[in-house]
Amino acid sequence: MGLTSSYTSSPVGRLIVSAGPDLASLDRWIREFARVIEVHQGFLTELDSAIGDADHGTNMRRGMSAVVTSLDAAAARSESPETALAMFKSVGMTLVSTVGGASGPLYGTFFLRMATASGDVVAMSATEFATVLQAGLAGIVQRGKPEAGDKTMYDSLLPACTALDASLAAGLDLDQALTAASAAADAGRDATTSMQAHKGRASYLGERSIGHQDPGATSAALLVAAAVTAFRQPE
Amino acid sequence: MSPQPLVGIVVVSHSWALAQAAVALAHEMAPDPRLRVSMAAGLDTTTFGTDAARISQAIIEADAGAGVVVIMDLGSAVLAADLALEFLDEELRNRVLLCAAPMVEGLIVAAVTAAGGGDRREVAAEANNALAAKRVQLNLPSPEVVAPESISASQQDAGAVATFIVENRQGLHLRPAAQLVQLVRSLDANVTLINRTTGVGPVPASSLSRVETLGALAGHLIEVNATGLEADKVIAQIVSMAAHRFHAPNATTDQRPKAARPPTDSVERRIGIGPTQRLTVPSELVVAGTPTQDAEQEWLVLTQAVSAVQIKVQSVREQAAVELGEHQATIFDAHLMLLDDPALLDDVRDRINAGEPAASAWAGGIATIRSRFEALPDPYLRARAADVQAVGDDVLRALLGTDSETRQDTRSSTAASILIAADLTPAEVVGLDVAQVIAIVLADGSPTDHSAILARAKGIPLLNGMGSHVLTIPDGTLVALDTVTRELVVDPSATILESFRNRALTANQAYETARTRSAAAAITSDGLQIQVGANLASLDDALAAATSGADEAGLVRTEFLFLDRSAAPDVDEQARAYLELASAMGGRRLTLRTLDVGGDKPLGYAPTPAETNPFLGLRGLRLSLAQPELIADQLLAIVRTAHDTPVSVLFPMVSTVNELMQARQLLDSAIARDGRGLPQGFTVGIMIEVPAAALKAAAFAPYVDFFSIGTNDLTQYTLAAQRGNRAVAAIADPLDPSVIRLIDMVCHAAGDKPVAVCGELAADAAATSLLVGLGVRALSVVPNAVPTIKQSVRAVNSIRARELADRAIDADGADAVRTLFVDPN
Repeated sequence: MGLTSSYTSSPVGRLIVSAGPDLASLDRWIREFARVIEVHQGFLTELDSAIGDADHGTNMRRGMSAVVTSLDAAAARSESPETALAMFKSVGMTLVSTVGGASGPLYGTFFLRMATASGDVVAMSATEFATVLQAGLAGIVQRGKPEAGDKTMYDSLLPACTALDASLAAGLDLDQALTAASAAADAGRDATTSMQAHKGRASYLGERSIGHQDPGATSAALLVAAAVTAFRQPE
Repeated sequence: MSPQPLVGIVVVSHSWALAQAAVALAHEMAPDPRLRVSMAAGLDTTTFGTDAARISQAIIEADAGAGVVVIMDLGSAVLAADLALEFLDEELRNRVLLCAAPMVEGLIVAAVTAAGGGDRREVAAEANNALAAKRVQLNLPSPEVVAPESISASQQDAGAVATFIVENRQGLHLRPAAQLVQLVRSLDANVTLINRTTGVGPVPASSLSRVETLGALAGHLIEVNATGLEADKVIAQIVSMAAHRFHAPNATTDQRPKAARPPTDSVERRIGIGPTQRLTVPSELVVAGTPTQDAEQEWLVLTQAVSAVQIKVQSVREQAAVELGEHQATIFDAHLMLLDDPALLDDVRDRINAGEPAASAWAGGIATIRSRFEALPDPYLRARAADVQAVGDDVLRALLGTDSETRQDTRSSTAASILIAADLTPAEVVGLDVAQVIAIVLADGSPTDHSAILARAKGIPLLNGMGSHVLTIPDGTLVALDTVTRELVVDPSATILESFRNRALTANQAYETARTRSAAAAITSDGLQIQVGANLASLDDALAAATSGADEAGLVRTEFLFLDRSAAPDVDEQARAYLELASAMGGRRLTLRTLDVGGDKPLGYAPTPAETNPFLGLRGLRLSLAQPELIADQLLAIVRTAHDTPVSVLFPMVSTVNELMQARQLLDSAIARDGRGLPQGFTVGIMIEVPAAALKAAAFAPYVDFFSIGTNDLTQYTLAAQRGNRAVAAIADPLDPSVIRLIDMVCHAAGDKPVAVCGELAADAAATSLLVGLGVRALSVVPNAVPTIKQSVRAVNSIRARELADRAIDADGADAVRTLFVDPN
């Protein structure tokens, strides 16, 4: 995808439009996502019990707590991931094996695609981060084949990625762009309430799925919000 | 037998238990040991979920080179399987098909098609059609059925035609249809079926899902059309199979060939009534010390003889597979393996090179192997010595040119009769015509040898070990026999005949009832649940046990992993084998007995000192403690397995508490080596086989979770009489009050620790009430006996049984005990 090689092979003299996340902030992002999932676990499960099988909160918490455990264990052995590729891959594989429900392969694919798109780098520019996020989103499309309006995680991630790209193109820095993306994700999440589900177990409910906020879109909005918090932290 | 690898199958499910049960069902329908069905189900045995990494691992395990078809349950299973493909290397990924079939129906159809040698596209296409039969039955319009092969008009015109009437009570349902499809797929012919009664068809007979759509019910007329090289052969075999109601592989299930038997006097395999007919004794095989030609010439002669016998055994095997099912036919795989055994052939080659003639070299090689089996303490495995001798003799006959003297129908009359012989080889039993043979009476043999097992599978009542005097009964004498009471009545009176006929009718009804209730728990009339488990010595046993409703594997004879090889299986191989057993048993508890060998070096890689009396020597746990390397690895494999599936460990031949403490230390080391702590639900027990252990049961009790009484050895050691020795066999009666008193002592000393019985006594329906009365709470028996023993538990009243047991302890002999329980008034 070009971005990796251009950055690593000729770092000097390369024009960085806007500073992006480094390994430490990516690590904070993952941990912040785990924290907010923990906090919202009950809420996510409650949403899922209305239109699904009441396990989204439990499944995501199990997966993200396994991710943190594995990051901690690696750190204790002084084997923390040394590149964005390694970090995202480790997160993706852990989710795949521990989440259990449909979110496992979906979030798993999201992180695995971000790993491939990042490549062996320790830091990336804001636009590179946006591209990486787009690759993750494309993975979700490939895996789950969602369309906008199907009442899925895609309904918050797609507007988030679009807003991020547009904001960066308009010259905003990463923090501002991510704040806009998070707002778009939240709006997308809220819009799922009036949608009828066309994917997953909620689709069995047909019209009765209308009137409930989608748990997948909710956790995905938390993921974007977690990036705002994590990347903003000093250090 | 096609050398091509089979397509593998992976089952992806949210639930471990669901997948386990589905896989067990599929194995039952397609009991081909070459078929690989792996599962990736649940996050663990209790948490629902799917795991893409595990799915990719399962695909790797299932692939034997012909590719893999993946069958999934709901939504996320599909997403996870899709993702799993990304984790595979491209070469393998191109051989994997994700299949949209409904899980249970699709899996079974896929398993049968894969076992029949279908390629992965056929397997997936067949599975995708799996709902067709259900739709036909429910009178729903059929969706587009994807025909894996088209039927052209010309194929229907030429070739062979025949019809048969469906005799199976439930019609041509899944199991018989699967048998038919496998037969058709094994031959070179295009076969189609038409249901002439309903007009449905033609459908290709090689497609299980299509055959099922025939809606062939009992009494329907089915037309078979075949073209191709083996058209006539396939037609003949289908018609023959139909007459035998498409035998299922397991003789315990519902297709015993009753229809082909004379309708009177042999309703059930328990009773036989008819005139006797003695089989001639084959001429003694004299291995003369003929001067040897050159060694090369002798070796050539030998290899030709071995090849000739291989061809013969292969054809017997094929016959057994068609008539008795694959499960029974595997007995002959062991024969073929022996003829191909490099250790045996090397040994014989060495003898020939040293100047021995071919016949004597072969006889010597066979004798060595036979003595290894005879030295095994376990009677089940010991009985394989007879197989070795039988195959060995076949080769000798070929070498000595007396091949034609084998006993092929030397009987003078063709009327149905009761055969009397000194012994029969497994091949001879397969060759018997069930329409001609009412029952078999043998002077030699044991109930566990393969001839007896095959006779039971053919539905022929068999009494063996009856002593040489049965050989003196003149031909044509009317006899009546009962295999349960082991009675043989010569010239029975009218009253006795009437009573035997009644027993036959009652036995038949009782067996039918038992079979229909085999999966239910065995609960006494006053509400006490008794675990009825199965004794296993192979993966086939485990499959049979699951079919016959066993609650657990009450005894796994792990020796089967260690025999016939040049080095011990390593920890991984053992753990894998134990997990396979657990999987075949649908995740039911495995009681793994540690290696129980001894005597004259049965294991080449673990030599033991020569002993004058191996029965009183270094065997069982004694040998394991003397040479702890083997058991240390075995315990590690057992502990590992116990983390994945419910497991108990059982130490054999324990005599002193000190031995048990040493064994427990080895177990503790194994748990430490594994590093994951004590597995959940892991329990430790000892075999009570030695009177000393029974007498000291109270001293053992604090250190065990359960006791398992091996009544075979306990009887032999208590009465100092070996059962294999015809002269003293009658003394070695497990119902002797001395043995009963020892069982009673163990039950008392055990307190609340459960006591099981895993010897042959447990499989004796007449003894069930006695054992329950004594306080035994678990019985473990040969897989086929599970339904009968469960049913006999249901007839027990434990309070009444306790009273009778007290009287049995004080009885003066085994006959008095038997009278007490056969006629308790």
